[in-house]
Amino acid sequence: MPHRITRKEDLNTMDYLIEVEAPMVAERFRPGNFTVLITVPQGERIPMSIQKAEDGKITMFIKRLGKTSIELDGFEVGDSLESVIGPLGNPPEIKRYGKVVFASDLVCGHAENYALCKALQKIDGNHVISIQTFPTKDDVYPTEELSEAVCDEYYLTTLDGSRGIKGHYNDLLRDLLYQEKVDIIFAGGDIPALRDLSKLTEPYDIPTIVTVRQIMIDATGMCGSCRVFIDGEMKLTCIDGPMFDAHKLDFKDIINRLSMFKKKEVEAMEYYKSKTGAR
Amino acid sequence: MKEADRIRVPMREQPVKDRVKNFDSVPLGYSEEEAMAEARRCIQCKDRPCMMRCPVNMKISAMIETIAEGNFKEAYLIAKEDNPIPAISGRVCPQESQCEAVCTMGKKADAINIGKLEAFIGDWAMRNGVTEELHIDEKDKKVAVIGSGPAGISCAVDLRKLGYQVTMFEALHVAGGVLQYGIPAFRLPKDIVDCELSYLLKIGVDVRLNHIVGQNVMLDELRREFDAIFVGTGAGAPRFLNIEGEELMGIYSANEFLIRVNLMKAYDFPEHDTPIVCGARVGVMGAGNVAMDVARCAVRLGAEEVYILYRRTKRESPAREEELRHALEEGVVFVELVNPTRLLGGDDGWVKGIELARMKLGEPDSSGRPRPVMIEGSEFIMELDTVVNALGTVPNRLFLGRTPELETTGWGAIKVDENLMTNIEGVFAGGDSTSGGATVIQALGEGRAAAASIHNYLSGR
Repeated sequence: MPHRITRKEDLNTMDYLIEVEAPMVAERFRPGNFTVLITVPQGERIPMSIQKAEDGKITMFIKRLGKTSIELDGFEVGDSLESVIGPLGNPPEIKRYGKVVFASDLVCGHAENYALCKALQKIDGNHVISIQTFPTKDDVYPTEELSEAVCDEYYLTTLDGSRGIKGHYNDLLRDLLYQEKVDIIFAGGDIPALRDLSKLTEPYDIPTIVTVRQIMIDATGMCGSCRVFIDGEMKLTCIDGPMFDAHKLDFKDIINRLSMFKKKEVEAMEYYKSKTGAR
Repeated sequence: MKEADRIRVPMREQPVKDRVKNFDSVPLGYSEEEAMAEARRCIQCKDRPCMMRCPVNMKISAMIETIAEGNFKEAYLIAKEDNPIPAISGRVCPQESQCEAVCTMGKKADAINIGKLEAFIGDWAMRNGVTEELHIDEKDKKVAVIGSGPAGISCAVDLRKLGYQVTMFEALHVAGGVLQYGIPAFRLPKDIVDCELSYLLKIGVDVRLNHIVGQNVMLDELRREFDAIFVGTGAGAPRFLNIEGEELMGIYSANEFLIRVNLMKAYDFPEHDTPIVCGARVGVMGAGNVAMDVARCAVRLGAEEVYILYRRTKRESPAREEELRHALEEGVVFVELVNPTRLLGGDDGWVKGIELARMKLGEPDSSGRPRPVMIEGSEFIMELDTVVNALGTVPNRLFLGRTPELETTGWGAIKVDENLMTNIEGVFAGGDSTSGGATVIQALGEGRAAAASIHNYLSGR
């Protein structure tokens, strides 16, 4: 089954959007699900968040970071991916929570932000607040890809204050939580920032559900590579997650193990560059 | 008996110094002459204990007789009657505890090398493009087979031969289950697996990859669409020790280690994208075939010292004789009577060692093997930079967790009746998903038995 690319656009200098034909994933997608991509036959299996699933196609936000994302950036509309697998993971219940926040500061988190806000906003009784953080004004995504249109209250922050509110979503939330009562917070993106968020919300006793990014291979519960520890109990990000109660997560372990293949990732990139002449 | 007939025709193997640097097959396979010479050693005894002991009751003596005559095509067709994948089972079956264990010849001399003859005949057919000619009388009933490992393969083949419309659902991006992700290429070359699997397509099995039943396809949907279902989902989930330090970097489940190396071809990194980090001093916990596979992969990935850490002794190792021998030849060190108590990490978050307690053998336990007993105060530390846990697997809870209506035992194996039917009418199961972890050939046998039961069920018998 060919997975043809139907749209591909830059979101900023580092991030791009890609829309591919994946009828099975699109038809069965629930916000919070993820997909596993294989770009080429000798490629790795990489987990990827989904922003939208419509008309047999899914849209993902990808950062030009490692070998696979840079290679995929070389693909054009009309080219096909080897496999687009899923939907995977165990998404959160879409129901009435009351005042809901979704905060994000990285590609994957921004995709989840959009998908979750859109679904949660449709439920009566929810007031959905979306917060998106970018480094500077130049990094802010095109308006139509932001969550502004799919929430009730929207905040854009930049770390240098060049657009929107100055600071990280955690800075904004520190003030917000002081002023008003929030029923639940979802968040995705940079893991150390999620750890800080967890520390921030714990004294308020606000349920805080975060998307964990951990190294995966099969993403079906077979390899155990994505194991995380919840109150000391082992869980698998692929089939038990990817969203977990932040107050119970061992972030130190997650951050530590995410770096296990760092040297190999550099090696893969160097090899790819030498082979293709890519910069 | 002539003196020369007492011993097996030796199997040529890659020399140790070469093979530890590659992932190519270690045994080089019999030539036609060698196979005929080995086959002629068979005395064609009347009792045929080999066939009785075979989990799929292959007509072994008839196969050997025709090999001896040089009639390889006929031999292949005989093998294929009962075994859909002879080139595979010939390589991975524990023959020394099955057919070869009861070989009449073996009472007085070397048992016939049945495994290598079976592999020879499978390879010969592949090389010469020989396949069986099938005439399938199509039936309109549809059967879903979940999982494309050994149990699923044999069930699908038998049902297809009977004319059923068979659709196979595989969670991964390639078919074959444990044959692809679990068993390394130096033991089971992947071109052989691919060739044996292409047979499924050739006879008209509809193989659907990336279909994860319980995740993106539900059992209920399959029940509505199909007249019967076979569950052959294997025992693909890792079992961890729940000891201190399992979160450290450098610790793998055997599944992760082998999936990276075999399925994703990490040994060919960076030509293939998936990496593996294998250190210089590797400890493998466990002493079964999977542990040997991991240890031998580690040797090939460049580890300087590889240790098998086992709580019993070599004698109780559940590994095939050949795997244990090959591992030892390749420099793997077998450490007997030790049990891990915790994993030690450095400030950098990587594992740096393992604490082991010395064991002694006590009274036999329910498995009949002596129970290992910890010697108090005997703990010592072994420095390691990679630790792989090969202490067994359990059925995958992704499938079971999403199909609560399916009855299981306490540890997650699917319960079946004498016809391999589960508590759900029309849903059958076999292989490691019901036994929890056995051999390829046992799974093949159960797949066949389930196919026969499904045929009976669908023909109203």
